[in-house]
Amino acid sequence: MTTPAPAAGKTYDLSFARWVRDNINGGDKLNLCMQCGACSGSCPIGVQMDYGPRKLFMMIRAGMKEEVLSANTQWNCTSCYRCVVRCPRGVPVTYILQDLAAKSAEFGYAKGPHENKNFAQSFWWSAATFGRTDERLVTMRYFFSLGLGEGFKRAMANLKVALGMVKTGRMHIGLPHMTKGRKGLKAILAKAREIEARH
Amino acid sequence: MAAGQNGAGPASQTILVVGGGIAGVTAAVEAAEAGQDVILIERDAALGGRVTKLNRYFPKLCHPTCGLEINYQRIRKNPRIRVMTMCEVQGISGGRGDYKVSVQRHPRFVNERCTACGACANATEMMVDNPFNYGLDKVKAAYLPHEHAFPMRYVVAPEAIAAGEGEKLKAACAYGALDPDDKGETFDLHVGAVVWATGWQPYDPKKLDVYSYVHSRDIITNVEMERLAAHDGPTHGKILRPSNGEPAKKVALIQCAGSRDLNHLPYCSRICCLGSLKHAAYVREQYPDAEVHIYYIDIRAHDKLEAFYDRVRADPQVKFVKSKPAHIRVGEDGRPMLHGERTIDREIYAEPYDLVVLATGMQPSAVAGYRPTMGLVADEYGFLVPVEGDGEGMFSAGVASGPLDVSMSVQSATAAALKAIQAVRNA
Ligand SMILES: Cc1cc2nc3c(=O)[nH]c(=O)nc-3n(C[C@H](O)[C@H](O)[C@H](O)COP(=O)(O)OP(=O)(O)OC[C@H]3O[C@@H](n4cnc5c(N)ncnc54)[C@H](O)[C@@H]3O)c2cc1C
Ligand code: SF4
Ligand code: SF4
Ligand code: SF4
Ligand code: SF4
Repeated sequence: MTTPAPAAGKTYDLSFARWVRDNINGGDKLNLCMQCGACSGSCPIGVQMDYGPRKLFMMIRAGMKEEVLSANTQWNCTSCYRCVVRCPRGVPVTYILQDLAAKSAEFGYAKGPHENKNFAQSFWWSAATFGRTDERLVTMRYFFSLGLGEGFKRAMANLKVALGMVKTGRMHIGLPHMTKGRKGLKAILAKAREIEARH
Repeated sequence: MAAGQNGAGPASQTILVVGGGIAGVTAAVEAAEAGQDVILIERDAALGGRVTKLNRYFPKLCHPTCGLEINYQRIRKNPRIRVMTMCEVQGISGGRGDYKVSVQRHPRFVNERCTACGACANATEMMVDNPFNYGLDKVKAAYLPHEHAFPMRYVVAPEAIAAGEGEKLKAACAYGALDPDDKGETFDLHVGAVVWATGWQPYDPKKLDVYSYVHSRDIITNVEMERLAAHDGPTHGKILRPSNGEPAKKVALIQCAGSRDLNHLPYCSRICCLGSLKHAAYVREQYPDAEVHIYYIDIRAHDKLEAFYDRVRADPQVKFVKSKPAHIRVGEDGRPMLHGERTIDREIYAEPYDLVVLATGMQPSAVAGYRPTMGLVADEYGFLVPVEGDGEGMFSAGVASGPLDVSMSVQSATAAALKAIQAVRNA
C-alpha cells in the first residue's frame, strides 16, 4: 500500500491541524490520539480506506491538507462506531470523519460523480423532503446522479432484486411514505441552515 | 494530632505494617532493625505477596526466593517483629501515637505447632484450586501455600472443613496442630503509626472482552505466564499451551492490555513492558526455534532498565510490532488469532499464535477490601498517598502507593519506615 508521507520539498499547511481542532466536530480531541492503531484495526472496512482514521489523523498533524481533504477514508466510514467504543483515548473518531466528509464536499474536494457523496446527498434529499427515506427514490436519485448511462445500467442490474423485494413486501408501490408535519420539518431545517450560516 | 488523646494510655511506639509483600516485609525489617517494635499483618497464609509468584526478577533474571529468603532470615532473627498471617484490617481510629486498629483473623485450621510434615495432606483426597498458581492447577485441600512459605505452616481450605473432612485431618496430625474448630477471631491492636503496603491485583482480563480471555485457554495473563514458566508452577516450568499441552513456539505478548486506556485503567502500569521483555526471554530460553512477537504502543523500559530492552531486542526471533491489537478471535484451527493494524506500514493483519499473553496492569488491591479513610488519600486511580504535613502517622509503600517495580517498592518501603519511626518517636 503506497500512501503519501511527508517529503522534503513539499509544502505542508502547518495551520491545518489548528484549523481542524477549531472547525471540525470532535477535532479538539484529536490531540489525544496516541497513534495506537486500534481504530483502523477495528474498522470493518479498514482495508477499503486509503488511510484509515489513525493515519489520517497523523496526516492532519503533519499538515497534509490536500491529501486529507481528498481522501476516501471519511467517505467510506459506515458510522458503525466500533473505533469510538474501542479508542483508548476517547477520540470521537466517527464524528471527526463525518465532519471532515462534509467539509471536504463543501470545499469542493469531492467533485463530480462521487459514489459516497452522491449517495449521502440522495439520502438527505429524501429525508429532508418527506421526513422519511424512500428506498426507491433514494436509490434512483443516487443511480442517476452518477450520469444518465450509469443510472440506466445500475437500475437494470438491480431490477430483479427490486421485483423480488416488492413480491415479498419489502418494498411498496405507490406514493412515498411521508411524515405528517412536513411543514414543521421544513421550518426546522430552514432554521438550522440559518444558524449554521451565522458561523 | 496529640498522642494518647483518647485516653488509651501512653503513646504507642509500635509500628503496624499492613501487607506482607516485598514492600511490607522491607518496611517491617527496616523499622525493627532501627529498634522499633513492629507488627506485620498479612491477609494470605504466607508472606511474600506477588513477588513470590514471579518466576524470576528483571533485569538480572534472578530467582525471587533469594531476595525474600534474606528478609525472612532478618525477621526470624529479630524478636521485635511479630508476624500475623491470615489477618485483615477492619478499621482504624485514633491518631498518631495512638491508633486503635481492629483486625479480623480468618481461620487457618492449623496452629503454630505445625511441623509441615504433610501427613494431613496425605489423609485427604479432596482437591481445591491452587491459589498460588492462579487456579491453573489443583492442590490438596490441606496444603503448604508453596515450597518457600514463611511461616512454613500448612493451611486447610475452608471447603474441606465444610465438607466434613476436619476430623479425619485432625486424626492424621501427630502434633496437635490441626484444629477443625478454628473460627478465626477479631481483636484490636494499639499502635503508634501505620504503614499501608497492601500491594496490587492484576486487572481483571475478563473485562477486556475484545481480547477473548474467556474464549480460549491459550489466551493467558502475564501473571499466569510467570507461573507457567516457574518450576513450581502447573507445568513444572515448561511453557506449554494450556489447551493441548504442546510447546508454545509462536507467542504473542500484548502490551497495555487494559492499561493506558480510558475504558479500563487510564494510567501506565510501568512494569508490564519489562515484564513482557522478561517473558520473551523465558520463551526464547526454552525453545531455540520459538518466535515471540511483542505488540506495543510504545515500549516503556524505565531508567536503567533500558539495557534489558536492548538485550532482548538483539534477539532476531523477538519481533516488535507497533500496534495495539484491535481484537482476538479464536481461529478455525483453535488457535488465537490477532487482528489489527501495524502502524508502521499500515498493514491490516490477522495472525495466529500458539499462546497469547495479555500484559495486564497492576491495580491497587485496596480497591477491593477495606481502605483507610484518614491519614491517607486515594489518588484518582486508587493508589494511596499520605496527606502531606498533617502530622498523622499513616504512610504507604510499594504498589499500594503507585505502580512500582520491586526495587522502587523497596525504596518506598524504606522511606515509609523512616517516616513511621519519626512519627512514633515524635508522638
Ligand atoms: C507480570 C508481572 C511481572 C513482574 N515482574 C517483575 C520483575 O521481574 N521485577 C520487578 O522488580 N518487579 C516485577 N513486577 C512488579 C512487582 O510484582 C511489584 O513491584 C511487587 O509485587 C510490589 O510489592 P508490594 O509489596 O508493593 O505488593 P504485593 O506483592 O501485592 O504485596 C502486598 C501484600 O499485601 C497483602 N494484602 C493485601 N491487602 C491486604 C489487607 N487488606 N490486609 C492485609 N494484607 C493485605 C497481600 O496479600 C500481599 O501479600 C512484576 C509485575 C507483574 C504484573
Ligand atoms: S484508537 Fe484512538 S488513540 Fe488509537 S489511533 Fe485511533 S484515534 Fe488514535
Ligand atoms: S465508525 Fe467508521 S471509521 Fe470507525 S470503525 Fe466504523 S466504519 Fe470504521
Ligand atoms: S497440620 Fe499437622 S499433619 Fe498437617 S503438616 Fe502440620 S504438623 Fe503435619
Ligand atoms: S508499562 Fe508498557 S505495557 Fe505497561 S501500561 Fe506502560 S506502556 Fe503499557
